Amino acid sequence: MLTGSKTTFKVRQMLPDIKERMLSQSGVNARSRDVFGLRCLPGECVLQRAVMVRKKLTAREGRGWLSGTLFCTHFRVAFVPQDSPKPDDNADPVLLGDHDVALASIDKVVVVGPNRTKLVTPNSSLKFTPEELVLYCRDMRVICFLFDRLTPDAQVIEITYTIAKTYQPLKPGSVLSFQNAALGSVEMKQFLSNRRRDTHMNWFESTSDWEQELERCGASGWRVSSVNDRFEMSTSLPRFIVVPQKVLDTELKKSFSHFNEGRIPRWCWRHPRGSDLLRMASFQNNIYHEKDDIRNLEMILFGCQSSLCVVVELGEELPSPADIQLAHSRLRALCLGDISTSVSVPDDKWLSTLESTHWLDYTRLCLRKASEVACLLRGGHLTVALQEAEDRDVSCVVSSLVQVMCDPHCRTQRGFQGLVQKEWVMAGHRFYSRINYHRDNDKEEAPVFLLFLDCVWQLWSQYPSRFQLTEDFLLAVHDSVHLPLFSSFLANCQRERCKRSQNHGQSYTPVNGWRDGPHPDSSSDPCDPPLPPVWDWALQYSKRRQDRFTQPVPPSPPLQPLLNGNLNTNPDAHKLTDTIPGSVFLFSRGTFSCPANLLPWRSTSSGIYKKSHRRAPSSEGVPGLERLLKAWALTDIPQGLTSNSGSQGPLDPFEPLLPVLMGPCMGLWKECYLRGALHAQAFSHPISANHPHPVERLAAEVQQLKDKLAQASAGPDVKPPIKTAERPLTDANLNQNTNNGTFLFPGSRPHGTCVSRVTAPPTSTNHQHASSRGRPPTTAAPSRSSHRDNSSKHTFLFGHSSSTEARPDQRYHPAPNNAKLPKSNGSVAS
Amino acid sequence: MEKSGSIDSLGSKRSSSRQPSVDSLSSTSTSRSDRSAQAKPPSAMSSDSMSTSAEFSPELRVSSLHVKPKTAVKQVLRDSEKEEPQLLPNETVQDMAQDITYFCPFTGAVRGTVMVTNYRLFFKSTDREPAFVLDLPLGVVSRVEKIGGASSRGDVSYGLVCKDMRNLRFAHKQMEDTLRKSIFEVLIKFAFPVSNGLQIFAFDYGQVFPENGWKVYDAISEYKRQGIPNESWRITKINDHYELCDTYPSTLAVPVNIPDEELRRVAAFRAKGRIPVLSWIHPESQATVTRCSQPMVGVNGKRSKEDEKYLQAIMDANAQSHKLFIFDVRPCVNAAANKKNGGGYESEDAYQNAELVFLDIHNIHVMRESLRKLKDVVYPNIEDSHWLSNLESTHWLEHIKLILAGALRIADKVESGKTSVVVHCSDGWDRTAQLTSLAMLMLDSYYRTIRGFEVLLEKEWLSFGHRFQLRIGHGDKNHTDADRSPVFIQFVDCVWQLTRQFPAAFEFNEYFLVTILDHLYSCLFGTFLCNSEQQRLKEEIPKRTVSLWSYINSQLEDFTNPLYVNYSNHVLFPVVSLRHLELWVGYYIRWNPRMRPQEPVHQRYKELLAKRAELQKRVDELQREVTNRSASSSSERAGSPTRSITPVQTFV
Repeated sequence: MLTGSKTTFKVRQMLPDIKERMLSQSGVNARSRDVFGLRCLPGECVLQRAVMVRKKLTAREGRGWLSGTLFCTHFRVAFVPQDSPKPDDNADPVLLGDHDVALASIDKVVVVGPNRTKLVTPNSSLKFTPEELVLYCRDMRVICFLFDRLTPDAQVIEITYTIAKTYQPLKPGSVLSFQNAALGSVEMKQFLSNRRRDTHMNWFESTSDWEQELERCGASGWRVSSVNDRFEMSTSLPRFIVVPQKVLDTELKKSFSHFNEGRIPRWCWRHPRGSDLLRMASFQNNIYHEKDDIRNLEMILFGCQSSLCVVVELGEELPSPADIQLAHSRLRALCLGDISTSVSVPDDKWLSTLESTHWLDYTRLCLRKASEVACLLRGGHLTVALQEAEDRDVSCVVSSLVQVMCDPHCRTQRGFQGLVQKEWVMAGHRFYSRINYHRDNDKEEAPVFLLFLDCVWQLWSQYPSRFQLTEDFLLAVHDSVHLPLFSSFLANCQRERCKRSQNHGQSYTPVNGWRDGPHPDSSSDPCDPPLPPVWDWALQYSKRRQDRFTQPVPPSPPLQPLLNGNLNTNPDAHKLTDTIPGSVFLFSRGTFSCPANLLPWRSTSSGIYKKSHRRAPSSEGVPGLERLLKAWALTDIPQGLTSNSGSQGPLDPFEPLLPVLMGPCMGLWKECYLRGALHAQAFSHPISANHPHPVERLAAEVQQLKDKLAQASAGPDVKPPIKTAERPLTDANLNQNTNNGTFLFPGSRPHGTCVSRVTAPPTSTNHQHASSRGRPPTTAAPSRSSHRDNSSKHTFLFGHSSSTEARPDQRYHPAPNNAKLPKSNGSVAS
Repeated sequence: MEKSGSIDSLGSKRSSSRQPSVDSLSSTSTSRSDRSAQAKPPSAMSSDSMSTSAEFSPELRVSSLHVKPKTAVKQVLRDSEKEEPQLLPNETVQDMAQDITYFCPFTGAVRGTVMVTNYRLFFKSTDREPAFVLDLPLGVVSRVEKIGGASSRGDVSYGLVCKDMRNLRFAHKQMEDTLRKSIFEVLIKFAFPVSNGLQIFAFDYGQVFPENGWKVYDAISEYKRQGIPNESWRITKINDHYELCDTYPSTLAVPVNIPDEELRRVAAFRAKGRIPVLSWIHPESQATVTRCSQPMVGVNGKRSKEDEKYLQAIMDANAQSHKLFIFDVRPCVNAAANKKNGGGYESEDAYQNAELVFLDIHNIHVMRESLRKLKDVVYPNIEDSHWLSNLESTHWLEHIKLILAGALRIADKVESGKTSVVVHCSDGWDRTAQLTSLAMLMLDSYYRTIRGFEVLLEKEWLSFGHRFQLRIGHGDKNHTDADRSPVFIQFVDCVWQLTRQFPAAFEFNEYFLVTILDHLYSCLFGTFLCNSEQQRLKEEIPKRTVSLWSYINSQLEDFTNPLYVNYSNHVLFPVVSLRHLELWVGYYIRWNPRMRPQEPVHQRYKELLAKRAELQKRVDELQREVTNRSASSSSERAGSPTRSITPVQTFV
């Protein structure tokens, strides 16, 4: 049925070509821009260029085609639309433009000619002139360029060869050359070394970073220990770990040997109800232990909770890295629908094939485990220790998911970045091995982090208005993982990262250990090439796209910085009355147990056990714990949801976002995995791209009209074009959000925003109001009235009604301030 | 096939209003209450099931609509103090019973009281706080079966199979007084009024709404909106008394140069006399969508000069193209198999310049079976680990895909190919209605408004004789009737898929679609009664019942999509790959208490709507202001920024 239609649609698709081609021709002739508008990075040179190329736009980009010029450099395949504004040469370099793709993220190059397709390898030769060039990327994008008849054949063939020859970083070392192509030039190094790191997020690199987090969580009774400062205790743990205050470093040192890789239980996070989340590796068996070891260990495990500790075993129920890798490769094969091999799953087998990848099963398992842990933590005053054999894969997933569910801060962009720093980058997730940039260690490859991102997306799609970050942000993180450019992902642990920067000239003396200077705050340390952290988004994304990373209107007020452990306003509801203090339970496969030999060496000698001041393990606490978990089952979901129901009643921001894990509720992240799927566009009609949502356009029009008004009355000193130029930034953002129904947010907005809006000049205030119309009028009104009394009916949206129309001109004067305002949208949202 | 006889009688008899018998069931059985107490789930459950039903169930909405005009109290039934539901006008209590157990598949057994009226079943729990309430229009009951009986320790259990994707099970103690009828026997009587010689409740329902929904559709003005009559198309009154075709409307649009006498001869060649008539005409290219039934070709390959000439005339009416596409919606095999019943399809030899395309959509029996399987998969429990393959095995989404793909091809031919199309299946009242109406929805933005959609349903479905009475079986106990089929549900599902892909292109929201489907069964309104315009006229449906559109148009704000922008003249081309279709969980899985909308989207949309109105008003104001100013000061500035047409973005 579909094959029958194929031909007819192909014909139809060609129709607008002619029109567009003629348009594009005249356009180019008229402008004749030098270098066709590509802004090269310092040291970057164009290897090949092809004119009159059209890029196929995805549904997200608005579909249709965009004509322009295609470039291939040592670093990227770049595409410059013909009517894009002339680049500003003084702006900071952006590694990748909106339409560019880095060579390193290309997985496969395929050309489509008349009636055939061909996979192009560095050695292959073309016997026909391609009509289409399709780039399959490792981040699951598929980028399609169409060559016109007007594209010179030589250019077509040359650029295809050039891309095929340069893209593949198959050999070790090609990654380095890729990095050098991007960042290696003197100017680039200089530029990078002068870059400030984002101070709004927590990097978890210094003692003070951790202390800040302890304070944020209201976690008293814990301290930051630098016992691993030289990575002597554990090579994979960060330099600083958080341990109970009452445990001395000397006692601590004895514990490392009892754990796999020395990864002793460490504090990660404190739930507002006072429970602590810990992580640890599995116990090391058959090791000689001293009398005090048990006591030390218990002190670490119980942290500052005297009541009880639940050890959550992660390994058995959750997918192994190998499982994840297999599932992901299946998913990838399924979603990409590779035209070169023409192995595409037929539509009628799509669902079952998707199921058989098990990818959705794995996301469900992770979310379920995290939900269970979140429910346990909600019980208050207990310690939950996540235990995984190596403590470097799914424990990263679960610990960070728990925090995303329970901690609104982790649902903001900056908070999320901090979370990834804490639970992945610093905690020693082996990004380098798992991503396998060099393609030299397939056994270790496993996209554990991508599984985590998918889980976060599932939460986001079920609770979009509870997130300040957006799907675009998740996509940006997803795609960045595939670029071997960022220090965050190019190492397996902090030690490796430090080692790397040492190779690049950081002072390290074997005697004194690491220099205790201004710390890896690498802004001051010259490195070669200095790899930037992934969080420096300005390197990769234009301001316009970065603005899409956050909701234009933030969700419920971020309750930072204090979520202190005494949120226990209603403790009885959650308190475990029937547990005996000091018991350790093992939670595995959905049941609690108190095994005699949880600590493997305990059973060997009962004498030691008696030394412990803890009571014998009893099963008395089990019912209480199970009750906590029952909340997670069917019963509790609506409760979590009703608290969600918007304006009426204050919602408890710490009520975990428990996802619904029913089959129909687990979605496929189509925006990510099906972005490039060609069949998705089979029937799309070519229409012009990037139009903002109509409602947003309406708001923009209001703004335009206001500008005109202001101009008409205030005279020539006002320059509205600045504003109109920047308008689309938020437009596009909102457009995305509307599509997903995340327009409005219940609850009030943060005070910071209020202030910034109120102090802004009126015209721009109006602009803000218009663009963030999701806000309930009740909250918007006070800010307005504090500004000036205004009795008109619709003033909460617009500063002035027609009756006060004369006023804007008086208030419009602070124009320079005004010009910056649209930018503040981004910071406002954070 | 003809079942129309059953409906003929329904309006004629008035039901004798029975006195409610309150103390019907003696209810003191300690053993039973113990058992049900054991099965009792945590009490928190009741609250959520209750609010689930409050949010989703049609019955509550129905009751709220009844209440609304008088009091502002919307959700009366949340109030646990209320012992009884607010009865609708002319709704009378028929029976009540205490101590009934409802076996909720999600939360376990609940004990409470049941009330049966001539419109609904009302169950209210007595052992839960807040009370669990089930309010079910009897129209959704497809079948009532007695389960177990004497064997199970004196309990009598009844299962209610519903048309809206759920099954309910109740039980009560065995009657001591054997003469007394069980309340469920009473229920059977009122659930199937047609089979029991009673009148469907829609004829009693006396609510008056500010809007009159029966005035929504007028054939002449709809044709006029399309520009008919014009130089190529005329309106004929040949079927004024339903003599040409009793399943067609009285007003038909046909090619100008075919006189009425020839129409009769064409009718003789088309199954059930359903000749090709105009459904929609492209305002610019004059390409048309026409619909009909299969030609009576038969095994001998009969031909009809008049029919051939007629199709030629349809083609000639469109100067842009010298071709005509005939979409036979059926699979080729089925179409061929119809030959032995005298039917068949147009041969390309006989019809020059016509190209025949089969769209491979299966018949009503396949669709019924598919939906039955879907119900098995989604109700009550969903097997998470095999969800997708189970869903695939129902083939439901595949059928949806084929229908959408077919409609897309029609729309594409008309819009991009500027070619007229003829659409038919066997009789031209099921699949044909689906495809023409979906294609028109894609082609014409008018049908994407609330009123336009109502017009579309009135026109393509109701007036052209989709046999709602037979397909749904209103008030008919014969649940195994092979004529029942979810053809219309399937269509609404397709519309929902379109709204998912083009969230800003439709004036109505999901709730509108759910409401239509709820009242497809409820028998509260007369809209979906009977099989054809002729029958509806004969039963005086417009006079004796209330239209669903009266209710909907009286509170439009509930059904409006705030994201809507009228993209006039914009054609929607959806992506029909299964990869981009979704199961309509908001309809099929809405009974599952876990399946609640995560976000109070509805409310936020409404707020948004108000905001947008503000904005619009403001724009108008400013626009006036600007024109005033520029007129007064100088002419250098051109008035308002021109609004270019914003393209529709698919949301994949």
